[in-house]
Amino acid sequence: MRDFIRNMEEKLDSMGAKLEKKEITIPTDLAAAAVFFVMGIVLLLLVPGQVTVGKDEVVSGAAFPTYLCYIMIGGSILVAVKDILKIARKEEVDTKTINTLVEVKALIIFGILVVFWLICRLTGLFVLGALFCAVSFLLFFRCKKKSYYMITITFAVGIWAAFRFILNVSF
Amino acid sequence: MKKIISLVLSVVMVCTCLVGCGDKTETWTVTCPWAPSGVAAVVSQKAASLSTEYSKDIILVADAIKGDAATVNTWVASTKVSDPELVFAGEGLFSITSILDPAKLQFTYEDFSYVENLYSSIFVMSADAKLGIDSIDSLKAYMEEGNEISVATNGATGSEAFLAAALFGAMGYGDQLKLVAYSSAAEAAQAVARGETNFAVSHQSQILETFQQGGVTMVCAFDGEDIADGPFAGVEGVGKHGYPYFRNRCFIMARSGADENKVAALKSLYGQILADEEVATWLSDTMLLEVDTMTEEQVLEHIDNVKNIVNEYYDLVAN
Amino acid sequence: MLEYIGPALQQLFTFENFLWMNLGVFIGSIFAAIPGLSVILCIILFLPFTYKMTAIPGMMFLLGIYCAGGYGGSVSAILINTPGTPHAATTMLDGHPLSKKGRTKTALRIALYASTFGGIFSALSLLFLAPQVAKIAAQLGTAEYFLVCLFGLTIIAGISGKSLIKGIISAALGLLISCVGADPLTGYDRFTFGNARLYMGLDLAICLIGLFALVEILGKAEGKVGPLKLDTSKIKTEDKITKEEGKRMILPAVVSSIIGVIIGIIPGTGASMASWFSYDRAKAMSKHKEEFGHGSVEGIAAAEAANNAVTGATLIPLLTLGIPGDGCVAIMLSALMINGLNPGLSLFTTQGDIMYAIMIGLIFVNIFMFLQGRYLTDMFAKIVSVPQEILTPIIVMFCFAGAFSVNKSYFDVVVILVFAAIAWIMKKLDMPTVPILLGLVLGNMTETNFRRALLLTDGNFSIFVGSWYCIVFLVLIIAAISMIIVNKMKEAKKGVVK
Repeated sequence: MRDFIRNMEEKLDSMGAKLEKKEITIPTDLAAAAVFFVMGIVLLLLVPGQVTVGKDEVVSGAAFPTYLCYIMIGGSILVAVKDILKIARKEEVDTKTINTLVEVKALIIFGILVVFWLICRLTGLFVLGALFCAVSFLLFFRCKKKSYYMITITFAVGIWAAFRFILNVSF
Repeated sequence: MKKIISLVLSVVMVCTCLVGCGDKTETWTVTCPWAPSGVAAVVSQKAASLSTEYSKDIILVADAIKGDAATVNTWVASTKVSDPELVFAGEGLFSITSILDPAKLQFTYEDFSYVENLYSSIFVMSADAKLGIDSIDSLKAYMEEGNEISVATNGATGSEAFLAAALFGAMGYGDQLKLVAYSSAAEAAQAVARGETNFAVSHQSQILETFQQGGVTMVCAFDGEDIADGPFAGVEGVGKHGYPYFRNRCFIMARSGADENKVAALKSLYGQILADEEVATWLSDTMLLEVDTMTEEQVLEHIDNVKNIVNEYYDLVAN
Repeated sequence: MLEYIGPALQQLFTFENFLWMNLGVFIGSIFAAIPGLSVILCIILFLPFTYKMTAIPGMMFLLGIYCAGGYGGSVSAILINTPGTPHAATTMLDGHPLSKKGRTKTALRIALYASTFGGIFSALSLLFLAPQVAKIAAQLGTAEYFLVCLFGLTIIAGISGKSLIKGIISAALGLLISCVGADPLTGYDRFTFGNARLYMGLDLAICLIGLFALVEILGKAEGKVGPLKLDTSKIKTEDKITKEEGKRMILPAVVSSIIGVIIGIIPGTGASMASWFSYDRAKAMSKHKEEFGHGSVEGIAAAEAANNAVTGATLIPLLTLGIPGDGCVAIMLSALMINGLNPGLSLFTTQGDIMYAIMIGLIFVNIFMFLQGRYLTDMFAKIVSVPQEILTPIIVMFCFAGAFSVNKSYFDVVVILVFAAIAWIMKKLDMPTVPILLGLVLGNMTETNFRRALLLTDGNFSIFVGSWYCIVFLVLIIAAISMIIVNKMKEAKKGVVK
C-alpha cells in the first residue's frame, strides 16, 4: 500500500513538474476589459427579455440595469483604450502569469466542492458530504497524519450536529 | 490523544442521536411577505412569542421577508406538503393582484390550506397637514381646483394602492392621481409626514404618532361607517359617500395538502392565542386592529367580495 | 436617550448576551491572529448562527468578532512580523522590533491597552453621536437618500485598488446582481430566467460566502500549506510597561482615537487608513521620532488605538442611514434586518431599548476583549498554529452549512460555487471584488430612491437639487471625487518620477 502511494505521488509530482513549466502571461487590464465588455453586451441583450416593464412608468424597471450595462461597457472600453495606448507608447502594462499547475489544482479543489454539493443534494445527508470533504482535502494536501483525519472527521460530525440540533437545520 | 478524539466523536454522535429522538415539538416558521416593521409581521411576532404558552407540541417562529407576491411565489415553489411552514396572504394577493396583474402570481388559492385569520384592519387616508384636508368634502374641493396629487402606498398593487386608486377614480379625479409605491406602510406614512407626497394610505397605528404630532390630518377611513372609537374616532367612512371600501385581512396559510390534523392543531393554537385577553387588548389599543377569527367560508366570501369590487372598478383603476 | 438606558441595560445584562460577546471576542481574536484568515471571513462564516438569535445576542456575537479583529491582528504582527489583518501592518512596524528587543509582552500589552482605549472611545462616540445623526436622517426624503447612496458608492474609490475604473465596473456588476428578483417598485420579475429560487433575489450572505470565503479555499491551489509556528515562550517574559512609557502612550492614543472615529464615520475608509494616518500624525507629534520603526511605544499605541476606534464609528452611518462604513458592518446589516431592525430614526425611537443595549454592549465587548487579551493571548498564539490541512475543510463545511441554512436550499450552495468561480476569475484579472459587495448592499436602496424620486417629479432631475440636504450631499460627492482624482494624479506623478 505504501509503495502504491509512493508511486502515485511520484507520478503526480512528475506531472506537476511538467504542468508547472507551462505558463501564460496575460495583460490583465486588456483581458478584464474584454471579459466585462462581453458580459456587459450579453446582459444588455438580456434586459428586454428578462425585465417586464409596466405601462406609463416614468423610470421603468429596465432603466437601472440598462444604465449599469452601459457603465460596464463604457468602463471596459476605457480600461482597454488605456492599455492599448500604453502598448502603443511601448510603456509597461500590468500583466499576470497564469500557471497551469495552479489552475489545475484550483480545478481539483473546485471539483471536490462540486462533489461535496452533489453528495449532499443526492443523499440529503450533509454529514456524508462533510465526511467526503474532510477526507478529500486531507488527501489533496497529501496529509499522512492519522490524527488530522480524526480531528477533521470529528469536526465534520460536530458542524453537522451544531447546525442540525442547535440551529434546527434539517440536512 | 487518539483515544480522546474517538471518545469525543462517539459522545457527539450519541448525544445528537439522543437529542434527535427525544424531540417531539414541531417548529413552524410563519413567513410574512411584508416589511418586518409592518402590522402583519408585528402581530405574527406577538402570536409566535405566545405559542409556547399555549402548546407543548407547536412552536411558532415568525419570519418577515418583504417582497409581497415574490415572497409568496418563492414560498409556494419551495415548500413541500410536509414542511412545517406557514405563510401570510391577503385579499391584496388573491383578489387584487390576481385580477390587475396576474403575471406577478405563480400561485392560486388552491395552492394553500387555510389555517386562520388573525385580525381585520380599517385603512385610513392621511393628508399633509399643510393642505388642510380633513374630510371627503374638503378633499373634493381640493381636487375640484384641478390639483395634481400623489398618494404614498405600501407596494404598487396591494390593498392600499387599489383603495386609493378606486377612491379617486370613483370621485372622478383618477387623472390627477399619482400613486407612489413605498416598501412598507411605515415608509409611506413617513413620506406624507415630511411632505414628500400629499396623501398616504396606511394602517391606523402607522400614522398615529405623526397625526398626534400634527404632521398630518385624517381625510377618511376605508370602511362603511365612520370610525367609532379610538384615537381616530369620527374619521369619515368612504362607504357613506358610496365609494368602494373593504377591510384588510391577512390569512395564515399552510401548503395545500398539509396534514389536516396539524392544520387543525395550528388553528386551535391561534384561536387560543387570540382569545387571550391581553392579546385582544394589545391588538385593539396598540395596533388599532380587531381580533377576527374566520372560517374558510368567510374567507372565500371576503376574497370574492373584494374581487367583485376590483372588477367593478377595474376600468377606473387599470387606466 | 435617558429613558432608553434603563430598559436597555435590563435587556443587555443577561448571561446569554455576555456568553455570545465573549465567544465572539474569542473567535474573532483567533481569526484575526491567523494570517490569511480575515475578520470579514469570520463574520461571514458565523453569520448563520445569528439567524436563530434575537437582535441583541446576535449583534453582540458579531460585534465581539469585529472588535477582537482589531486587536487580534497585532498578535501575529508582533510575534512573527506577519500582520494577521491588513490594518495590523502599521502595528508591525514597531511591534515586531520591540519584540526583537526581548520586550514581546510589553509590545502586546501596549497594543491591547491602546486597542481597548480606542474601542471604548469609539463605542462612546457611537452612543452619543448616532442618535443625533439619526435625527437628521429622519428628515431625508427620497432624493436625499439617493444622494446618500451615491455618496456611499464613492467608497469604491477607497476599495478599488490600483484602478478606479475597474472598481466602478465591479460595483456595476454588484449593482446588477442586486437587480435579480422582484422589481422593488413594481414587483415584476427581473433576471430570474423563470427560476422560482430567484424570485426573491440573491441573498447577500450567500453571495459573500462565495466571493470572499470559498475563493480563499480555491486560493490554496496557489501555494504549499505549512503550519505557522509561534514561539509562545516569548510572551511569558516578565517585562512591563514603564511609567514613562505609559505616559508617552496617552497622547497618541487619544489623538488616534479621535482620528479613528472621524475616519470610521466616513464610509469606505476603514481601519487601515485610520492606522496609517494616525501613525503618521503620532510620528509628527512625537519627541522621539527616531524611535519610530525601531520599536516605538507611541507608534504601536497610535496604530492600535486608531484601528479599534474605527469599530464603533463605522456603525454610525449603518444604523442611521443604512450605509455600511466597511465590508464587515455591511454583513452585520443582514443580522439587523433579519430581526426587523431597519436603519433610521425609528431604530432609536420605537426600538430604542434594543439599539441602546447594542451600543452599550459595544463598551462591554471592548472590556471583554481587554480581559481575554490580558489572560488568553498565550492561547490565541497557540491556536494560530492550527495546520491549514485541518482548517481548510472545516472552513468549506462551514461555508456549505451556512449557505444551506439561510434558505434551507441546496440551490444556494450552487450560488456560492458560482460566486467562488466568479471571484477566482476576477482575481486572475486583477479586478477588486469588494466593490461587488458594496453594489449588493446599496443596489436596491439606490435604485428604489432614484426611480421614486423621478416618479415624484415626473422625470424632472431638479429634485436632486431641491433641498439644502441635497446640496450638502452633492458638495460632499464632488469633494470626494475631486479628492480621488487629485490623489490618483499625485500617485501617477510619483510613479513617473520613480
